[in-house]
Amino acid sequence: MTTAINQAKMDELRDIAVEVLEIEDDEITPTSMFIEDHDADSLRAIEILARIEKKYKIDIPQAELPNMVNLSAVYEVVAKYAGWQD
Amino acid sequence: MTTIQHADIKRILPHRHPILQIDRVVEFEQDRRIVATKAISGSEPCYAGLDADADHAFPVSLMVESLGQAGGVLWLHSAALSGEQHTGTLIFGSARDIVVTGAAYPGDVLRHVVELESVKGDNAFMRGEVRVDDRPVVTVGSMLAVLRADEDL
Repeated sequence: MTTAINQAKMDELRDIAVEVLEIEDDEITPTSMFIEDHDADSLRAIEILARIEKKYKIDIPQAELPNMVNLSAVYEVVAKYAGWQD
Repeated sequence: MTTIQHADIKRILPHRHPILQIDRVVEFEQDRRIVATKAISGSEPCYAGLDADADHAFPVSLMVESLGQAGGVLWLHSAALSGEQHTGTLIFGSARDIVVTGAAYPGDVLRHVVELESVKGDNAFMRGEVRVDDRPVVTVGSMLAVLRADEDL
């Protein structure tokens, strides 16, 4: 599935990710991997998910966590549950 | 008003002396909010061998741990009252936006107020504040407590 990227939304997701991962904006790219490239663990992943849920007031099943490996993948998942592709 | 005594806390939390860092729960609103106390004594292990000239402020790390334990009681006791079964090892996942505005000393009673923000499976997100005599000492903007199966540790 591909989704037309809304850059403002992508920037919001990046802000959440860099804050939780405690890295700088220029260290992350849409395809850099949270675990392999940014030393994330399951706790960071669940924090990112929870912050996204709170910000957009949506519910994302925990089963989606393994899919949320980088910013692009997070965008796809959030778009699905927030209805951004409409 | 619900009071949860020390013995009851031991039925909710796995922690034991000397790392069990809350004494009593004085207010409990299921799934929402807890107020718990911890009395600091000069006989705490952290003061053992401390020179008279040393700073006797209670360590911030232990205040945050104590606050986190209050949050653990809020989460796990709420879940138990709802009939939910949670298993695994309780872990302090993270604490963010910690602001230290004061200090606590032997003789002080810490008063923790923790609010449960959300629960996602075996992960609980909370925020809280530590007060001494209505004076804020530490605030934690975001805390994460989790339960993990032994094989995942």
